[in-house]
Amino acid sequence: MRAASEKMRQVAAEALAEQQVTAVLGWRKKDFWWQSPVAFVETAAAAEQLTFDPFSVYNPVKYLLEEDSARAKIGVFVKGCDSRAVNRLLQDKRLERERVLLFGLPCSGKADPAKIRAAFPAKKIQEVVFEGEELVVLLTDGEERAPASDFLLEKCLTCRHPNPVVYDQLLWEQVPVRAGVDERRFARVKKVGQKEPEERYAYWANQLGRCIRCFACRNVCPACNCRSCVFDQAEPRWLGKANDMADTLNYHIIRAFHVAGRCFECGECERICPSGIPLQEINRRLIMDIDKYFGPYEAGLDPGDSPPLGTYRGEDPAGFDES
Amino acid sequence: MKKIAKAKLQDLWRHLSEEAALYLPAGSDGVVDFARWQEDLAVDLGELNVCVPPKKFFYPQTETVLKYEIGDDLQLVDFSGHAGERAILFGVRPCDVASFSMMDKVYLGDPADEAYRRRRENTCVIALGCQEPEETCFCLTFDIDPGKAPGADILATDTGEEVVLVAQSPKGEELLATLNGLLLEATSGDEIKVKDAQEQAKEGYVTHVSVRGLMEKLDGMFTDAYWNRLYRRCIACGTCTYLCPTCHCFDLQEYATGNCGERIRCWDTCMAADFTQMAGGHNPRPTQKERVRQRFMHKLNYFPRQHGGEYACVGCGRCVRKCPVNLDILEVIREVGGAADGQ
Repeated sequence: MRAASEKMRQVAAEALAEQQVTAVLGWRKKDFWWQSPVAFVETAAAAEQLTFDPFSVYNPVKYLLEEDSARAKIGVFVKGCDSRAVNRLLQDKRLERERVLLFGLPCSGKADPAKIRAAFPAKKIQEVVFEGEELVVLLTDGEERAPASDFLLEKCLTCRHPNPVVYDQLLWEQVPVRAGVDERRFARVKKVGQKEPEERYAYWANQLGRCIRCFACRNVCPACNCRSCVFDQAEPRWLGKANDMADTLNYHIIRAFHVAGRCFECGECERICPSGIPLQEINRRLIMDIDKYFGPYEAGLDPGDSPPLGTYRGEDPAGFDES
Repeated sequence: MKKIAKAKLQDLWRHLSEEAALYLPAGSDGVVDFARWQEDLAVDLGELNVCVPPKKFFYPQTETVLKYEIGDDLQLVDFSGHAGERAILFGVRPCDVASFSMMDKVYLGDPADEAYRRRRENTCVIALGCQEPEETCFCLTFDIDPGKAPGADILATDTGEEVVLVAQSPKGEELLATLNGLLLEATSGDEIKVKDAQEQAKEGYVTHVSVRGLMEKLDGMFTDAYWNRLYRRCIACGTCTYLCPTCHCFDLQEYATGNCGERIRCWDTCMAADFTQMAGGHNPRPTQKERVRQRFMHKLNYFPRQHGGEYACVGCGRCVRKCPVNLDILEVIREVGGAADGQ
């Protein structure tokens, strides 16, 4: 893991020193062991802060939208999920491939701070690192080791593409897809789907009842890249500002449909939801339906493909199915 | 000073729920929030920071201000004077209690907000002293004593097998008096246990920051290049503002259909572009930079400048925990710094 950070610093410093790029997006450490926010690195010397650790989870790709499009090339470190965000923006014509230099980082998954807090005394933790398949927790009074797979984020336990699908340079060897990923991918959706309609409504009413309308799920989502969002529009106002269930459902359902066939399962919406709403279940439900009605499809793998809901084929199902 | 065995808390809550609507921290789907008490509620008194701070009881995310109907004449129903329900909040932590007095400065100033005032009056706050801070707790920075809550009507302290209750206001005394059959008189031994617990509460902090001189330093930083760097990570969600116990900005919205309508007041967030969007199209805070600057300047400069030096932060750490991109007030306090001897 430390070697990984070293490698990142080296390639970023080189790219900046040789003026291949004007800035590099990666991750750095902050105050707490579980904080590895995105870093905007603009000089070779500043590349020293770059870190690839169990918490370098945040997707830096969406920040490219905010960058001045006239600005020269930007380097971005991309994990498997981040690289699919690049394809998302390319396919949506929100990014030009020539504008980015992609450093690919094969990734065996990132850690869930909540799982670590539940197992170790959080205030004594100094640093958490991966060593192979082990999670190493350095405490003020010692060191603990545990299987890394017990502490991964849910989204990483269902990740089918841990290796970048688009890159200019791969920093280290590719990693295998985790065992059990395919079984786990739709497990939660199927469980909810087995509930009776009333019970299912009660489940979602309870979950979405906690929504505070912060829009973090939308703002973090690389598939939500519209220049202006219908939910922000004041005149006419399509989404009421009163936090009631009708408009909360309006927001989440419309957003889910808008990203249907475009969501590439990074799971950031669910990870960062301050209210702990399992949003990925909604997206995965639609992915399941798309697989069923339009054939298996995974978004963000090839920017040149035809997204199922953006393409018409004669054999497409005719409409509202009786099921 | 009274006390009750922890094993009898359920009886206490049952009794309180007969007095008024009782709310306690409770877990649902792994998230702890204040919820209305009922026999099978999964009460969780261990959580220090409930997800949505209890400011929502006085300043709800959405409330109707008035309703109208236009017939032969205008029928108007004004909600601002409605009392709302009588409520008891059990288990409010000292930082959140401190946030109430901060909110009071805004909503009970001149003119007072009638709906807020009545909710405050109709609600009895039972605070629960903290025992063990979390890694993100930094209430000490703002001189908030984690074992005490002077703004609460009753202070509850966990002394091990029992909970000691001290009335701190006439409202609190009145409520405790209704519980006579359930409570025991606390002894001088219990008093010592409470003092010990309060002393103990100040130990174990791992986050130390100082705000000495910070307000003064920020006076000259409106155009500082610092903000150019700070805002870049912000994704403009409302997490920090909505989950902040001291954020109090609202929007008024009209819901009109045909000849009737409703005016609502709802939480608003200065992180959103439309917060300062003018009808004519101009936006005085055109980018996220100005919005991020506003939030921190409001908490650490404008508010204390207007309210006798009191910072609009209670050190609860919610923004530290919950910000999706780890952009929080701790970072700003540390990076801006203040007096030379600040930590």
